[in-house]
Parts: sequence; structure tokens; C-alpha cells
Amino acid sequence: MKKAIAWGCLVPTRRSLIGYEAATRKVLDHLGIETIDIPNETCCAPFWMQSLDLTTSIAMAARNLAKAEEMGLDLLTPCSGCFHSYKRVNHVLETYPDMRERVNEILKTVGLHYDGTVEARHIVDFLYTDIGADKIRQKSVRDLSNISIGLRYGCHMLKPHELLNIEYSERPTFADELIEQFGVNSVQYTGRHRCCGGLLRGVQDDLADRILHERLVDAQDAGVDGIVTVCSLCHLQHDMGQRTIKRKFAMDDLDIPVLHFPQILALGFGYSPEELGLDLHTVKTDKIVAKIVGGGSR
Amino acid sequence: MEETEKRSYRGDFPVRDEDVKASFKYNVADMVGGEGLLRCLKCGACSGGCPVGAVIDYRPRKVLGNVLLGLKDEVLSTDQIWLCAACFTCEERCVQQVNFTDVVTVLRNMASKEGHAAQGYVKMAEMVRQNGRVSARTGLVDKMREQLGLPPLHDPDITQLQGIMKAAGLNEVLAANQKKEVESD
Repeated sequence: MKKAIAWGCLVPTRRSLIGYEAATRKVLDHLGIETIDIPNETCCAPFWMQSLDLTTSIAMAARNLAKAEEMGLDLLTPCSGCFHSYKRVNHVLETYPDMRERVNEILKTVGLHYDGTVEARHIVDFLYTDIGADKIRQKSVRDLSNISIGLRYGCHMLKPHELLNIEYSERPTFADELIEQFGVNSVQYTGRHRCCGGLLRGVQDDLADRILHERLVDAQDAGVDGIVTVCSLCHLQHDMGQRTIKRKFAMDDLDIPVLHFPQILALGFGYSPEELGLDLHTVKTDKIVAKIVGGGSR
Repeated sequence: MEETEKRSYRGDFPVRDEDVKASFKYNVADMVGGEGLLRCLKCGACSGGCPVGAVIDYRPRKVLGNVLLGLKDEVLSTDQIWLCAACFTCEERCVQQVNFTDVVTVLRNMASKEGHAAQGYVKMAEMVRQNGRVSARTGLVDKMREQLGLPPLHDPDITQLQGIMKAAGLNEVLAANQKKEVESD
């Protein structure tokens, strides 16, 4: 099985996010899935860029899809923002013939063309639907049953489900099922599926803080050992933003490590915390890591 | 005879005729993603699930109401269209498939053309135009990537990206918002 892969802007360039890339590469390798990086990948022009100009954004995102189309491969991405953008490109090209023409006019000026044949898939949905929880359990080597985590799906992997071709649910369980194969206790708690305010960062910072504050209170009340995020913006908010919330809302005891979803899978597959970049996160992951490595094997 | 004060209420209402642009909603509905607007029942399901509305007085229903009423200038020049966090909860729950988030994109595009874009997003777009990514590459992270055994970071195809931005007209949008910054200085 071979797929093109688009990593997005943030995942490969931010200190606390490169562990996401490292873990994803290891998980795919462990499961025997071959991937090729989109050559010279450019920004996917997600929702914030669509806010400035939708036509430009669709054409920008189509650039990476055109590259996948040239290679004859479908596209995987670990970034929920990218996933959302690429899904929107195909939807817009299918729904509005004028836009299909206009976008290709734009692409033609840089020697590109996109027919709309590339299917974009979020890595989590791909692992669940195409690989399956059973295969992941068969490949697991480390028992993770002594950790309780709060799993955040984030918004842009799920909504709107018709655009994204994701099973509709206000309370999804597919990503939980994957990590439960290693015995992880994925705690259901209020606010788990609510927005983290990530897209307001840099535009309405106070608002982004207040929404994040609610999410961190939710997780703290749930008493989890850590938060696990799928979306890179969720991670930046919960991990990097945690210091700000701690200070601004006087939450002195706030100390929740934030892991990337594929890091949990890779830990279950037996990889070491160091090779997954767990020491690069803003909030120290020592305590949860100690629990994991002291957990035992299966 | 004592003269009583004449009480009047006529002519004293929150929305004035001159502020109403009746064609505004049709202009919005004509744009890609704006079609659902005219189906809005103003039921408020969008406001009920709004995570921004949970922390401040922000109601998507009110924004839709303003658009349907035709308050073009107020909608396009105030921050009410820039407060949406794009979580798509309202879009998922809307029984009429109004797609509030998509309507907001249409409104933001209109506002951006007029120089009312959120400055944070304008700065991010300039960053992308310059670097090909929304985040800059640093030598420190390059070194960390190497230590993690990750392949060297590729350079985004900046020529293609800038060509696309130019052909699609983003440069004009960014320029319109640059001017505003100079004026406000």
C-alpha cells in the first residue's frame, strides 16, 4: 500500500510538533504502509486563509493535490487543517463548475493542473477504516493499561461530516477504539469534543485563552494523566498555551502533559519515548512517560 | 393649562432604514458557500452549540439576522464576523443546512476586499507568501529533526505558491488591508 503524504506547515517545523511526524512515520512503517512526501509541499491555505479569499485558498490547496495526482497516489495527512482544506477542494470543484475552471486557470499559470481525482484521508480515519483496530492490536507489544488519558479528536477531522466523509457522531469513538487496543483508559468527560479556540489565536487572543481555559479545566476535572490530541492546533493550544492559562487564570496546580495521537500508537508498538520526541513538548511529559515505560509488555 | 411633554416613540428604533441594504442577503447567497443563508429559520441551534458564545456574548443567529436584515456596513466592518472559531458545530447541527461557517467565509471575503480583514490573518498570509509555510523554519528545529532521525526539511515551492497567489488575486486583498494599517497609524 502506497500513499502520498502531506505533513502541513506546523507539524514538521515546530519543536513540540515534530514528535507528531516522528511517531506517524514509525506507525506507518510498523504497519507496512509506504509513503512519499508531497514534493516541496506548500501551505494548504486552511480556514483562516479561506477567510481572506476562498478562490486563492482552493487554488493553493489544489497545488499539493495536483502533485499527488501527478504521482497517481491518494493523499494521507496527519494535520486536521490540511485534511479539511483538501476535502474542501474536491467538494468545491465537484459542486461549482465555474470554480473548477477558474482554479485550473490559476494553476495553469504555474504549469499545474488538477482533475480532482485524489482522495484525501486523515491518518486517524485511515488507520481505523483501512487498517483496522484488530491489526493494531496484533501488532501491539506494550501494555498501556495503567494510563488514563483525555482524547481530543478536535473539530476539523470530524465536522462537517458530509464534507469530510466521516461517520457522523457528536460523540465519536473510532479514535478511542484504536488506542484502547493497548489497554489505554480513554476517559469520557464533558468538553472533550468542544473547540479549543485554536483558530482565534493571533486574532482574538483573549478569546482563545478563555476557550482554552474551559478545556483545560474540563481535562483537569476529569483527572487524566494526560491529554492526547489529533489536531496540531489543539496541541499548540493545550501544550504551549498551558503556561499562559496557568498564569492568567491563577491555576497553579495545572500540569497536564499533552501527547500526539500517533505517539500513543507508537508507544504501544514498542518505540521509546525519546525517538518519538516526547521530551520536546512544552509541558513536561516525564510523569506519564514513567508510567508508560514502567507498565510492562504484552 | 399645564403643557404636557409630548411623548414619541416613532422614529426611535435600533435599525434605521438608511442602514438597511435589502439586496445584501442576495449578494451573499450568490457567492460560493453562501447559498444556505436564505434558508435560515433563525431557530438558534447555531448559537446553542457555539463555543465562543459559551464565554462571551456572541450569537451566530444574531449575525445571520443582521445579514438577512441587510445591515451590510455593520456586518462587514465590525469584528462580529471575525469571532467565529470555525469549529463547524453549528454547521453540523443546522437543520436547514445554512452552513453558518461557510456564510462567514463569504462575509469575511467581502470584508477583506474592503480592507476590513483581521490583521492577524493578514500577517499569517504574508508569512506564507514569503516562506511558503505559516511557520518559519529554524536552525534549532532542523537540528532536532536530525536528532530524531527525520528527513531534512524540504523547501516549499515558493515560485509556484507566489504565482498562484498572484493569479488568484490575493495580492490585491493583502494590499487593501495594508492601506488600512497605514491609515490607522
